[in-house]
Amino acid sequence: MSRLRRSGDNKIAKSDALAVAGERLLDFIMSTPFPFRRTCPFDPPPQYAETRAEAPLFAVTLWNGRRAWVVTRHAEVRTVLMDDKRFSGRMSQPDFPTVTEARVTVDRNERAFVGMDNPDHDRYRRFFTREFSLRRMQELIPRMETLANGLIDEMIASGPPADLVTSLAVRYPSLVMSELFGSPYEDHTFIIDCAVARHGLTQTPGEAGSKARELAAYVRRLIDAKEARPGNDLVSRVIAEHVLPGSLSRDDFAEIGAMILRAGHDTTTNMIGMGTLLLLRDDSLRASLAADPSKVKAAVEEFLRFVSPVQFSPRRVALEDVEIGSVLVRKGEGLFMSLPSANRDKHVFADPDGIDIARDNDSHLAFGYGIHQCLGQMLARYELQVMYKAILARLPSLKLAVPLDKIRFKDDMQIYGIHNLPVKW
Amino acid sequence: MIKVVIDRSRCVGAGQCVHVAPEVFDQDDKDGLVVLVDATPPDDIAQFASKAAFLCPAQAIRIEGGT
Repeated sequence: MSRLRRSGDNKIAKSDALAVAGERLLDFIMSTPFPFRRTCPFDPPPQYAETRAEAPLFAVTLWNGRRAWVVTRHAEVRTVLMDDKRFSGRMSQPDFPTVTEARVTVDRNERAFVGMDNPDHDRYRRFFTREFSLRRMQELIPRMETLANGLIDEMIASGPPADLVTSLAVRYPSLVMSELFGSPYEDHTFIIDCAVARHGLTQTPGEAGSKARELAAYVRRLIDAKEARPGNDLVSRVIAEHVLPGSLSRDDFAEIGAMILRAGHDTTTNMIGMGTLLLLRDDSLRASLAADPSKVKAAVEEFLRFVSPVQFSPRRVALEDVEIGSVLVRKGEGLFMSLPSANRDKHVFADPDGIDIARDNDSHLAFGYGIHQCLGQMLARYELQVMYKAILARLPSLKLAVPLDKIRFKDDMQIYGIHNLPVKW
Repeated sequence: MIKVVIDRSRCVGAGQCVHVAPEVFDQDDKDGLVVLVDATPPDDIAQFASKAAFLCPAQAIRIEGGT
């Protein structure tokens, strides 16, 4: 009898498929510590594909001994994330599942709308939606091009070799966010430190908690500074439109601002590093994109699908007993949506472990789904399109300066990517 | 011919609809939420409106009619 079936209060209902073919496999997976390890740096851990074939979700044992579910198929990830009635994303609730003890501290104190259910979520998010509209982001493209080319100029002037992660992947989104948000560029290392404390897998609860408070306090001071001396930036505009009229408090804005800064600095960095590495590993794809830069838009979407940097979010708690596929999730149980797994679901993406920029990949879930889908997704898309195009045009002879096994992949982070990318040209 | 119906009260301004069907959808400059540009798009555009309805993370788009 499987471990799943033995556990008294969390039975699997009507699950013939699990009972027969999947039972031994799921038994094995329950006994494997979660998060799982990758066996190939370019693919999610193999357990996802193995279980996806058997069931749309499976149970894991977390660091604190509690059980949680991991939803692995594209259709069911969408179903859960669009169902606000039966699943809650409120991070401060006691049963909210985490991959680390440190993340509990962060989640319990989360006050930005990323951790809220509706109606609160929509009310706060809408103070910021116009700031990230497609047209607004499109208007930033010429400036992004200037920043990307400026950084490539500097990298060329001081190399080869160079570490593309430090030269371009970290600095470029930091520069873009600095101008958009209004935070001084020299503060980007502090902001990234705070993001790493939240998104790491190795931090102590004390570290994660204090960095979360420090970043919110930093944004709170920035709000005061911008209130005294407004600029042409997000913070100044939101103060004028929502803070001064009294609809958004300065403290709430500080928490939301911290969320925007973390997201803007961290995830795009990872996609620039990983995307460039994918280009360097595929000469024919690279030649095709260099010959026709209009294909870069599709390549960005395919790289987002293939890499899916966000590993252990979104998360939900069941508000009532819910049957997903043929598996019964009990009220109060936690669920992780595995975006990397859903984006390799062969029922949606043929030959999912290959990169094919011609495929229909619009339904990839790299930015999540449901009301919490990434607010900055258009910013990320344009940032990536601009940087990949600039790299292809400016550095046609770019190649790895070290063997692949010297690349340090972010297996120590909740957001996947690479720590370094030594290159020459 | 299809008819596109939007529900602004659900919109979260993710921009997916404008991304895949700019002929049909726009975002209001004032609040970033969805605006309908063409409620009855021609047949060659209709498929993109349907795709936007599928991709909308907040289920703020409904397609009526069509095949």
